[in-house]
Amino acid sequence: MDIVFKQICHTTLLYTMLLGSAFAAAQTCNDQGVVTNQHRDQAKRIYQRLTGVPPTAGELNEMAAALACNDAGFEENATAIPLDDDNFYNVTLKNFVTPWTNEEQTVFAPLNDYTATVIGMVYNDDDFREVLYGDYIYTAANLTGVPAYSTTDNDHYEALEEQGVSLKDNLVKTPQAYLPENARAGVITSRAAAKAFFIDGTNRAMFRFTLMNHLCRDLEQVKDITRSPDRIRQDVSRSPGGDSRIFLNSCVGCHSGMDPMAQAYAYYEYRYDSETDPDALNGEIEYTPDQVQPKYHINSSNFPYGYVTPDEHWTNYWREGVNKHLGWDASLDGYGVGARSMGMELAHSEVFAECQVEKVFQAVCLREPLNAADQSEISQMLTDFAGVHNYRLKPVFSDAALYCKGE
Amino acid sequence: MLRRLPFLLVLWMALGLIGCTSGSDNGAPTEENPDTTQTGGDVAFVYAGPAPSTDDVQQFRLALWDNIIDSERCGGCHGVGGTGTPLFARTDDINEAYKAANTVVNLAVPGDSAMVQKLEAGHYCWEGASSACADIISRWIADWASTAEGSTNVVELSAPPLRDPGTSKSFPESSDAFAVTVYPLLTEYCSGCHKPDAANPQAPFFASDDVDAAYFAAQSKINLDTPENSRLVVRLGDEFHNCWSTCRENGDEMLAAINDFAGTIEVSTVDPDYVISKALTLVDGIPASSGGRSEDNLIALYQFKEGEGTVAYDSSGVDTSMNLHLSGDYEWVGGWGVRFVDGKAQALVEDSSKLYRLITATGEYSIEAWVAPNNVTQEGPARIVSYSGGNTSRNFMLGQTLYNYDFHNRTSNTDANGEPALSTPDGDEVLQATLQHVVVTYDSTHGRRMYVNGEFIDVADETEPGSLADWSDTFAFVLGSETSNEHRWQGVVRLVAIYNRAIPEAQIQKNFAANVGERFFLLFSISHVVDIPDTYVVFEVSQFDSYSYLFNKPFLVSLNESASFENLVMQGLRIGMNGKLATAGQAFVNLDASLNSSDMNEEGRIYLSDIGTVLALENGASQDEFYLVFDRLGDQTHVIVEAEPAAPAVVISDEEQPDIGIKTFDEINASMSRMTGVPITNSDVAETFSRIKQQLPTVENLQTFLASQQVAISQLAIEYCNTLLEDEGLRGSYFPAINFSAAPAEAFAPTTVLTQPLIDRMIGSDLDHDPAVAEIQPELDSLITSLSACDGTCDGDRTKTVSKAVCAAVLASATTLLQ
Repeated sequence: MDIVFKQICHTTLLYTMLLGSAFAAAQTCNDQGVVTNQHRDQAKRIYQRLTGVPPTAGELNEMAAALACNDAGFEENATAIPLDDDNFYNVTLKNFVTPWTNEEQTVFAPLNDYTATVIGMVYNDDDFREVLYGDYIYTAANLTGVPAYSTTDNDHYEALEEQGVSLKDNLVKTPQAYLPENARAGVITSRAAAKAFFIDGTNRAMFRFTLMNHLCRDLEQVKDITRSPDRIRQDVSRSPGGDSRIFLNSCVGCHSGMDPMAQAYAYYEYRYDSETDPDALNGEIEYTPDQVQPKYHINSSNFPYGYVTPDEHWTNYWREGVNKHLGWDASLDGYGVGARSMGMELAHSEVFAECQVEKVFQAVCLREPLNAADQSEISQMLTDFAGVHNYRLKPVFSDAALYCKGE
Repeated sequence: MLRRLPFLLVLWMALGLIGCTSGSDNGAPTEENPDTTQTGGDVAFVYAGPAPSTDDVQQFRLALWDNIIDSERCGGCHGVGGTGTPLFARTDDINEAYKAANTVVNLAVPGDSAMVQKLEAGHYCWEGASSACADIISRWIADWASTAEGSTNVVELSAPPLRDPGTSKSFPESSDAFAVTVYPLLTEYCSGCHKPDAANPQAPFFASDDVDAAYFAAQSKINLDTPENSRLVVRLGDEFHNCWSTCRENGDEMLAAINDFAGTIEVSTVDPDYVISKALTLVDGIPASSGGRSEDNLIALYQFKEGEGTVAYDSSGVDTSMNLHLSGDYEWVGGWGVRFVDGKAQALVEDSSKLYRLITATGEYSIEAWVAPNNVTQEGPARIVSYSGGNTSRNFMLGQTLYNYDFHNRTSNTDANGEPALSTPDGDEVLQATLQHVVVTYDSTHGRRMYVNGEFIDVADETEPGSLADWSDTFAFVLGSETSNEHRWQGVVRLVAIYNRAIPEAQIQKNFAANVGERFFLLFSISHVVDIPDTYVVFEVSQFDSYSYLFNKPFLVSLNESASFENLVMQGLRIGMNGKLATAGQAFVNLDASLNSSDMNEEGRIYLSDIGTVLALENGASQDEFYLVFDRLGDQTHVIVEAEPAAPAVVISDEEQPDIGIKTFDEINASMSRMTGVPITNSDVAETFSRIKQQLPTVENLQTFLASQQVAISQLAIEYCNTLLEDEGLRGSYFPAINFSAAPAEAFAPTTVLTQPLIDRMIGSDLDHDPAVAEIQPELDSLITSLSACDGTCDGDRTKTVSKAVCAAVLASATTLLQ
């Protein structure tokens, strides 16, 4: 279903859209308190934290009034205003997401389909878990001077950025028609992610960076040497430099869990011509049904007794052992075929939700949640994200902004 | 058949009696000297007895007999009139010698021959180490067997001893207990040799100054379960090795120390509820077939089986033995090999001349090596194998430069250093820091060629093949370093072979497939569980490196031909070692099979998995005891359930963190756009932003703010204000009360016509966290006053210029940059 977003200006209507039916009743203030300089300071901070820019005088007044309202829960009206500002999407969210989309984790990378898809999902109040398995990306439809979306370049998005196009007003949800239906897996199968993490190598990068960006864990943090190494590929030396202690005490801890998961990407490649296009600017994602990519069989003589990948079947060995605490969804099998179901396995974990909430907290509060009050707030935000917010990310920004609005 | 040439044609007999005691330092029993008078001393020997009665006798003669009849070897005792039995080296009748030899050889498994085993046990050896002679004899027997009728390399599996897994002790990770029990004796009495910086260092370095290094080195010499069998005890008490007073007392003192050490370690026992196999050690295993290495045209071979000492023996059997003398920082590694850290292994020049002599005769050669480079950062090239005269002259070299192997070969078309070198392609990263099989070949037709792990590396040799006539016989063969001790290479060498032919690709691939090191079949009996006679789960096991075992490709087999399997369920196979399950490496825990006789291959095996796994070595290859544990096997079940992991602790900290931050680059740009009304797409602004973007802040943390960032912020602010003030429409609506055509004094009367719009749009009012208007206004007034002072000489744009400056001062200030 394609949805074109229209700008909506009325605060209370926005608020209803933003927070859903749970707060829908608080549309007008019945017990307006006195607006103080403190309310105005808080309003300015909320606005700037969410959009990166100061509010207009009118917006500031309206937000301060909302904060001064004594009705329970009415203060969310204050966040609805900046959350409808273009800059929340074009500036804050863009810079929030951009480092996830490239291996260097630079924020200076251009807008791309990965970034745009996350932005679109936040605006459209999609279930954010779908970021790892949804069958869609977000593109802009029919804008003058903007080249159409292409699977072989990033021109479409770079033009949107260059022309300062309002992303919330123009992004459209569209199916990932460039891949077979079963191979579509949210941002994992976006062109930008493929260019960054399916390019060359062994496709383990896609798993590692997904883990880092969406579960807030690097491999070191999920290391468990007690998992079975039976799915570790042949390219992993069991005796690096002639010393197997390195493998048995270190390498196995990550590869035993990672390799059977990254097997879900066995049919993907980012195809480009290294001769004519050394920077891979014009490559595109490739999916080869029933055919394992050669990269899964490289350096096979490093340990010829290792696992030979036959297909895209994946298994989550971290459902047992110390990583059991990552909170895997008991309603899922813990194994499956392809990137889509593996994306769901990751996205339906408790640690995925926790990661989103913590990232938002840090983006808005400009600090880590460290003290007891912060931890308590994180816990509440997590409960709401999985509960009343139905995994929508926009209300999480609202919650964080209100918590960190200052004295 | 180069190795037999010296004996086929002319056999020079040694003069006088040759010392026949074991030359090794292992204290083996003294033996009678061989009789060297049998063939008459320093004259050529020509066989004059009856002709070989069969082709096999002839093969025996060529492969073995010619090589052993020398009085320095076996002929002294096992020749005619000798005191040794049997007389397989008799020179009067080749057929009788053949009969005698057949009683002490095993052509199917040459390594199991009585001749070989006797040598391994310390019988007289003409080389410095009995293991070297055992290898050489084994090789000659294998040569005989290679054409013997009915010979086979198929391994016959046989029943191992049956015993239950015993209680066992394992070495603790910490060296603390060792440091206060055994280590003091070692440092006091053994440090004269067994430490790396000793005058004459002897591995293993269990008396090293580094107690952890000493502890690791000593583990293979200590038997925790039967301390009296520890090599440290036996060497002193029974083999009288460098005792410091009375050997028996010294042995007892060492035994007491080891008992004290072992007493600190808890015994591991197998859970009686487990479904387990019988137990085995590596020595209970059946040696796996060598896999048929092909060694035609071999002229030097190093397998590094010695495991200790300072000499790596050339076991090619081709005279002259080109033994390598180890020096510097090196260590022997388990499973055969030497690790070079800052050391080398070098042959004498006169011994090395064998290479010159045999290779220049053919004009071609090959270097084969199993190596594990320590890293992919060494260069120079770092010398792995070289036949060298110094840093800049050599006959050949295999070296490493980062991810590449380099091959130098001196010909009439290269310089004295064998350059230009042939290297593996830069981008392919062929060299990896793991065990690799490397072969380089040279012949006048194909030039230099390189093979890694059996695969031809397709890189063109742009140097035309040439003559080897310029080779020098004054160079030395060396591993791990230049002869000058420079250009050291770090890594493990597990085998080196030199051939005087460019060996064909098939031979290379065969040798790669044959792998390296010693391998055994371990037959874990499960008959007591499944009630099927002589039934075993078999692993091919080898010591993978100094720290681990490789358990490879398990299969089910019964040695009883009448046995059959019908839906035999096998689930969750784990490998136990010394009374406990290995923590890492349990690659068969997901096994879930229902096995039937119909699944058997032609060898009667049902393979359970086609992968292998490495398991950490604990007490040493001679001591570690293995067994298998099953979740389910046949009718018996005991599923091992993992303990619930402890919940991760929540980290709570009251560490103070900043409550505010700086805006980042896009936020600054968007803020300035909003504050000035100039769109970010304005070409001037966009160009400036694009240019300075990466100089602006990228993180909100105030503590990372730099002066250079403020400079960039000012630049951007000036651009925005310039654009605002230069655009008549924008400035008109922004500053409606200013007449920009007027002089400053008139235009800025009062100054609030300029400052108030800026404060309203950029700062706001009634905010406690921002500066009050009353504080800002005087500052801006002062700025306006000073900029407006031009003594009546102001140009027409002065008002606009002052406006730009005041605009930029507010726009680039902290009050608009903080959030």
